Amino acid sequence: MAHSPDFTLLDQASLPWTLTDHLDAAVILVFLRGDW
Amino acid sequence: MGISIDSPEQNSSMVNKLRLPFPLLSDPDRSRAIEPYGVANDVDPRNLAHPAVIVVDPDGAEVYREVGRDFADRITEHELLDAIGVLNLPSTIQSPIDPGSGEPGPRAMPVHAMIPYFRGARFAAVALGARHASAKEDADRYVAQMDRYMESVKGLRSE
Repeated sequence: MAHSPDFTLLDQASLPWTLTDHLDAAVILVFLRGDW
Repeated sequence: MGISIDSPEQNSSMVNKLRLPFPLLSDPDRSRAIEPYGVANDVDPRNLAHPAVIVVDPDGAEVYREVGRDFADRITEHELLDAIGVLNLPSTIQSPIDPGSGEPGPRAMPVHAMIPYFRGARFAAVALGARHASAKEDADRYVAQMDRYMESVKGLRSE
C-alpha cells in the first residue's frame, strides 16, 4: 500500500486543514475539477 | 473532503450553495495535494484536477483509488460506498464545519440554472447513446448520473 503524502490546505473558511490531524478514521479525498 | 484549485472564497460559496456537510480544500497551484497524489490533469489549460477519489486509512496508507478518465467521469457515491464498505475502515462523525463566506467564481452556476443544465446534458447523452451503439453504455451511465444530480439539487433553495 502506498503511503499517502501529508498536506495542509486552507478550507472554505480559510482555516488550515492537515490530513494527519484527521486520521483517527479513514479519510476520503475527493478531487474536484474546480474553476467554479 | 473535497480538494480543487478553487480559492477558499469560491469554496465557501460552493459549500453554502450546496449546503455541503464536509470541507472543501484549496490547492490553487496543485503543488500540495493534486500533484503529489498524481491526479493533476496535465493537458488542461486551467490546471484542473481529474475527478478522483482516494481513501486513506488511519496508518496513512492509500487503500482505494479511482481516477476518472476525463472531466465528466466520476465514480458514483453508491459504487464508492460498496467498494470501501468491504474494507472495514474505521469511521467517524463529521463535525459541523464553518461554511465561511465568499463570492462565487465567474463560472459558478446559480442553483436555479442547475436543473436546466443537467436536463440539457441528459438530453444530449440520450441522443448520443441512441446514435452510437458503442457509446450506449457510457451514455446510459451519464444519463443516470444527471438524474441523480437533478434529484440532489431539488431540495436546494433557489437563490
